[in-house]
Amino acid sequence: MAPPPELIDNVTASLPPDLISEILLRLPPDEPEHLFRAALVCKSWLRAICEHGFLRRYRAFSAFFTGSKSCRETPPPASPAPQRCPSPPIPPFAGPSIAAMAAPSSTLRTMIAVFCAASGCDHLDCHGGPFRVVFIATDDDDELVKASVYSSETCAWNKTVILADGYQTWQERLQAITRGESYRTPYVQPRRGALVGDEIYFTLRNENAIIKYNWAANCLSKIDPPIRDVYDISLMEMENGSLGYACIQGSSLYVWSRNASSEGAAEWVQCWVIELEQMVPVANRGDEAFVVGSAEGVGVIFMSTGVGLFTIELKSRRVKKVEEPGVYSSVLPYMSFYTPDRGTLLSLARTH
Amino acid sequence: MAAAAAEATTDGGGKMIILISADGKRFEVTEAVASQSQLISNMIEDDCTENGVRLPNVDGDILTMVVDYCNMHAGDAAAAGDTMKASSTEEELKKFDAELVQALENPVLFKLILAANFLNIKSLLDMTCQRVADMMSGKTPEQMRETFSIENDFTPEEEAAIRQENAWAFDD
Repeated sequence: MAPPPELIDNVTASLPPDLISEILLRLPPDEPEHLFRAALVCKSWLRAICEHGFLRRYRAFSAFFTGSKSCRETPPPASPAPQRCPSPPIPPFAGPSIAAMAAPSSTLRTMIAVFCAASGCDHLDCHGGPFRVVFIATDDDDELVKASVYSSETCAWNKTVILADGYQTWQERLQAITRGESYRTPYVQPRRGALVGDEIYFTLRNENAIIKYNWAANCLSKIDPPIRDVYDISLMEMENGSLGYACIQGSSLYVWSRNASSEGAAEWVQCWVIELEQMVPVANRGDEAFVVGSAEGVGVIFMSTGVGLFTIELKSRRVKKVEEPGVYSSVLPYMSFYTPDRGTLLSLARTH
Repeated sequence: MAAAAAEATTDGGGKMIILISADGKRFEVTEAVASQSQLISNMIEDDCTENGVRLPNVDGDILTMVVDYCNMHAGDAAAAGDTMKASSTEEELKKFDAELVQALENPVLFKLILAANFLNIKSLLDMTCQRVADMMSGKTPEQMRETFSIENDFTPEEEAAIRQENAWAFDD
């Protein structure tokens, strides 16, 4: 027997704010429009979403989304683009490359990172603050690695910096090749970079070297990886604010941290070694696990085998299968999303 | 009568407790079953369940569902010592929970959320809140209002302003 309509209204309308929050916290984090749509249902829902701290709780509740996207050449576009911020213009050296971002090509090696530049921000609910766009690419014309940073405050790109490779010109490089010296184009690898303080790190194909771009000082340099002969690796920021490096060698997962030594120089320190043989299933004798990404802040590494895509939590050593087998080269875990300006939403929530 | 029942014991030796709904329906359950409610568990510890537990904001039909849920889940806890039994119970439980949650619609669903919150049964609150969130998925604000019988209290101007500012979220 259906209850009278007024009773129905009473039940939903009588839900206290903390229960509305309990429900809205459970909206799937993979589709950012869910919260906006829910906010337009009625004012009590709007208030629950705009309530101070709700977004923080929501992002903490979702911890990290176990879904994933495989990235081959360029990172997928960030979820809904800012509507009020003007798009940064194309950096001076990158005309063809950035145009190609819309239609990824297998010949271009370009990585872009967009991040909040507000100091001391925990990034759980940053809106409208200053941001930076780092652009790093191997220029196909002169085969040099170049980087530049865009600031939302100055609305300008910094002067492009070039990674020194020991050759002044392409002719010099060609002569070196003719002399029989080994040369490979220093392609920036299509793999997610790691942002650590004022520095952002990417990897190069050559010797798996790591390029460090200090975007604050606009300085590009190269550092050696802790292991040279493993190519499936992931860079991440460690809990102590240092650069982390994860890879699998043999049947063990290794995680290094780049710490300052007592003399002040940075050095790699091995901080985790986890034997995977009994923990991560493989398809057959020849199959083995390799690292395809990491989820920062939660100490989780992604690994791929012929059986599927797995996560391992470093602290608990818990292994979980999150996707079916596939070609995973660089997994981008969905940690959060960008929400555009909420001016009207917030002012309505405050005045009602 | 309630007192007599409250002092009765089951074959397993557990004490029985009487729960009384807002409309006067009485439910006799074991302590193990009732203790899944943190509220009642605290009352048992404080020894104030002798004359039955009155639940003035939970209707009989909702309490029936809550008691069924707690009966199922208490069985799991009791069987935890027996590995064989526990594993079969786990499957049954999943099936029971899935069927229960699938069958839930407004307004029973919201009443159950209120009851789970009042009685402080975390697993039931998790499950029912998740059900509402799942039902919201993929719906427009109008469809959500319709599904949950919620009145739209925005003025047309307010609604238009939000839609315009966040047009990307409302493209169907």
